[in-house]
Amino acid sequence: MTDTTTSTSNVNSDATQIGSRELMIEMVGVDKFFGSFQALSNIDMRVGTGEVVVVIGPSGSGKSTLIRCINRLEHHDRGRIVVDGVELTDDVRNIALIRRETGMVFQQFNLFPHLTVLDNITLGPRQVLKMPKTQAEDRATELLERVKIPEQARKFPGQLSGGQQQRVAIARSLAMQPKVMLFDEPTSALDPEMISEVLEVILELSRTGMTLIVVTHEMGFAREAADRVIFMADGEIVEVGEPEHFFTNPTEERTKLFLSQIL
Amino acid sequence: MTATHPPSDSGQQKNLPPDMRLPPAVWARKNLFNTWYNGVATVVAVVVGAILVYYGGRFVFVTGQWEAVRKNLTLLMVGIFPRDELWRLVVQMYLVATALGLAWGTVTARSQDRAEDTGVFARLPSPIDLLRRYWAILLLLAFILGLTRTIWPTLFTLSAVAVGLGVRSIAAHLPRSARRPCWYAAAFMGIVSFQVVSGANGSAWWWTSGLFAFAAFKFASARDFTRLLGTSMVWPISGRSRPFTAKDLARIKRVVQILAVVAVVVVVRVAYSLIGETSGVSWDKWSGLYLTLVASGAAITLSFPLSLLLAMGRRSSLPAVRWLCVAYIEIFRGIPFICLLLVAKTFIDFFLDVDTPLSLITRTIIAFTIFSSAYLAEVVRGGLQAVPRGQIEAGQAIGLQPPGVMRLIVLPQALRAVIPAMVGQFISLFKDSSLFAIISVVEFFRARELIHSQQEFSTLAIAETLVFVAFGYWALSYTMSKESQRLERHLGVGER
Repeated sequence: MTDTTTSTSNVNSDATQIGSRELMIEMVGVDKFFGSFQALSNIDMRVGTGEVVVVIGPSGSGKSTLIRCINRLEHHDRGRIVVDGVELTDDVRNIALIRRETGMVFQQFNLFPHLTVLDNITLGPRQVLKMPKTQAEDRATELLERVKIPEQARKFPGQLSGGQQQRVAIARSLAMQPKVMLFDEPTSALDPEMISEVLEVILELSRTGMTLIVVTHEMGFAREAADRVIFMADGEIVEVGEPEHFFTNPTEERTKLFLSQIL
Repeated sequence: MTATHPPSDSGQQKNLPPDMRLPPAVWARKNLFNTWYNGVATVVAVVVGAILVYYGGRFVFVTGQWEAVRKNLTLLMVGIFPRDELWRLVVQMYLVATALGLAWGTVTARSQDRAEDTGVFARLPSPIDLLRRYWAILLLLAFILGLTRTIWPTLFTLSAVAVGLGVRSIAAHLPRSARRPCWYAAAFMGIVSFQVVSGANGSAWWWTSGLFAFAAFKFASARDFTRLLGTSMVWPISGRSRPFTAKDLARIKRVVQILAVVAVVVVVRVAYSLIGETSGVSWDKWSGLYLTLVASGAAITLSFPLSLLLAMGRRSSLPAVRWLCVAYIEIFRGIPFICLLLVAKTFIDFFLDVDTPLSLITRTIIAFTIFSSAYLAEVVRGGLQAVPRGQIEAGQAIGLQPPGVMRLIVLPQALRAVIPAMVGQFISLFKDSSLFAIISVVEFFRARELIHSQQEFSTLAIAETLVFVAFGYWALSYTMSKESQRLERHLGVGER
């Protein structure tokens, strides 16, 4: 088996394969500017199907921007982004296609406060996939069971705790049956006692073979769940590695500094 | 513990806030006469208050010549509406009462459902609550009915109220599946009630078919349709069959919707031509308080969707659309309403060089709508801006297109946020309708002027009629404002 664990593994003989995995997401030379500030510079990243990638790094290092570029919540200025064979261009059809295949979970949950939990989850399937109401609700109920809050279906988001809200947000994304899930610091806005219940759900998800990209500060989670850890600083990917190698024996100075500060 | 006790269980004195336990004399000394200047202020306030109450009371109950209002009550209520056609308004009153009862009952039932689902129980309104909510409008009603010379208007009004309340309590106990039919029935009765007054001719069928077409569009379902035809849920394609996908069903549904709409429009058209033209009172004869209510109701209903379009247009990324909307809003906010009214009355004929086929009242309502939509658009824009960016991103992330994000996520939240401001606009609109008087449209305020154009009352009882009209406007505005506060609280449930 070829080595998938280092950044140099991007030099791969077969362009549609990454190790033994099918290629799901490919970013080549991606740059992103906010005004004159360069948020991402020359990002090369390849993620295989079913891979769990955890992105860590100090705040302001471009982690969120990186995954927000993947579903076009941010517009990248240079480079190529390909998701499941579809290139992300200004063509709204491609954008729609990619958004349908990627689910996103936000730091601030962003549940729709005017809709019940059930309606939050069924909105996408009914409006985008044109699924009949009963079928969408059946699936929503199933997903709520999977995130362990089936009894909250008819409540409004404002009536739930932060951890419950984030689990609803995960169910809402899963309802679209995405191939990729993007997590943008899913536990950063949560009270400490609620973090584990959300991480548990993500961990379970990682075992189902879904492709996950998780931006997080939870190092324990990274160690346990990640196939690869990406360390970013100042808009660049500094180091990539398997968690074991990454946490015990980082090669780059900046990684060592960061890890010494947080561990 | 005590917190779980209902508030009526108030035997425990020690749980009341400390001030409430003070004897009145001590409380007054502590709060009203604690310093010499507060003592003076209290005395002055009491004296001024007493004088106001004395003169006010004397005016209302003793010296006021309410004869002027009493003799012209019909004029104030319906203006120049033909007197032998008044039965149409009575019929309309019953229909509207039924429609309101249906709508109210349905709303009550729905919030009951929601309470069961969410576990947030709203207290049911007691008669005292209703009195507190509607006392102003009830006082106005009592005052008007007290001035009538025969018993009939009182009987009609009371029985209409009884009908409304009866329908409400029936509608409140219907099953969930009856909610939507109830809404449509209420809307239908509203439309028919106006056709009873105006007569069903010309374009009358449009309104009804529009409503039913909308209902048919909403009710049409692919599943029921295929079941109706006895077909299975599979496509027979060249010998092989495959089951319907969600996309197939969506496509079938679209076709069913179109068929249903066409069918409904045809049926309504045929029904109306079978009924034939019925006579009525054309709406340039509608006047008095009745016209005030109808015209402001129409302007509010029409300007609301228009203002949504304008507000969204102003935030559009297309420069042409944006500039057009900005121009519309800024121009009509910058022109006094009186100018617009005069344009509606005279200049349109002048510019068009032909007699416009539109009646004066129609033109007035159009001017009113244009004016109010410009103001309302700014209110709505404020609401749109208040919706957090993350909500839009969440909508995009689940794959919604921009129109879907707007309709399903941004607008519902934006409108909730601006309900108080919007009702404030509605109230000022309602009062602005008194400016119609300037172009001789006989609404409530102009009807009062007509009283004093009669020989008998040319200088008599000017204050009394003015007070009456002012009280009429106030009672209605105040009730609107109360209702908006309630609506705001009601919609806030579950959002915190």
